[in-house]
Amino acid sequence: MSAGYIDEMHEAFHSDLVYRAEDIPLDCSPKPKDLEQTLHGLMKLNGLVIRSLEEIAGRGANAVTYRAGKKFGHEVAQYFQKREDVEGALHELSDLLRGQYSFEVWKPEDKEKFIIEENGETFIYLVFHDCIVRQTLRRNGLDQGGPLCQTLFGYVVGAVEEITGRKAKLEIVHTGPNACLKKLILK
Amino acid sequence: MEIHVDKDACVGCGLCVKDCPMHVYELQENVSVAVRPNNCMGCLSCHEICPAQALEHRGIYGARRHYIDIKVCEMLRKVI
Ligand code: SF4
Ligand code: SF4
Repeated sequence: MSAGYIDEMHEAFHSDLVYRAEDIPLDCSPKPKDLEQTLHGLMKLNGLVIRSLEEIAGRGANAVTYRAGKKFGHEVAQYFQKREDVEGALHELSDLLRGQYSFEVWKPEDKEKFIIEENGETFIYLVFHDCIVRQTLRRNGLDQGGPLCQTLFGYVVGAVEEITGRKAKLEIVHTGPNACLKKLILK
Repeated sequence: MEIHVDKDACVGCGLCVKDCPMHVYELQENVSVAVRPNNCMGCLSCHEICPAQALEHRGIYGARRHYIDIKVCEMLRKVI
């Protein structure tokens, strides 16, 4: 992956913010008027969840929500330029997810490259920072990592498949209140 | 990423050590020490789990918060 793009991505997620455990957020961030794009994404996603539920009722919540997310990913990404390189696809993906999700490619300090090959698998770690699913779950007091998170998995996989033509899989590594770590496995 | 552990507040429970997926912390003489701060990806699970509120992260990206209830916050502002 080109260093320039990675640096640009990391720069976007670097700040001088100091976060203390006792801090209580007293404002919506950003202001509600800036959330229109996010809300449209959410409404669209919910519509697709319902439609998919009708299609495969009884198959289990995860299957339904994953399928809805994947449809959304394919649908949105079909208007984007097709490309084979994963770096370019992730760049396109971060553009098309903007306003609903934001992410950066990430690696532990003992890894040299962002594209990691281990135990016969090729994968990239993605840290998701802004996420409407996480916000929705926390607003409702629900656990992270359940069926609603499957929509995001499906979304990313659908979009990557649409842009690159390659099959992909997304696995959850960790969920947190401020960010989640996921593994994009390339096939 | 800079991680500061308040040594006076830390009760040495080790919850942050167990919970952090990136093995950032180690217990040394019953106090948590951030031994691999560069491995932190900013999830803030450790903040949520620490019973002593002993942790501080500097240079972190604060994710958008859509779930804040404006009416509850207005009420909190009056009492805080
Ligand atoms: S924010 Fe997450 S990754 Fe960073 S030290 Fe805390 S638990 Fe570990
Ligand atoms: S969770 Fe908090 S109190 Fe417990 S060891 Fe970690 S920093 Fe100390």
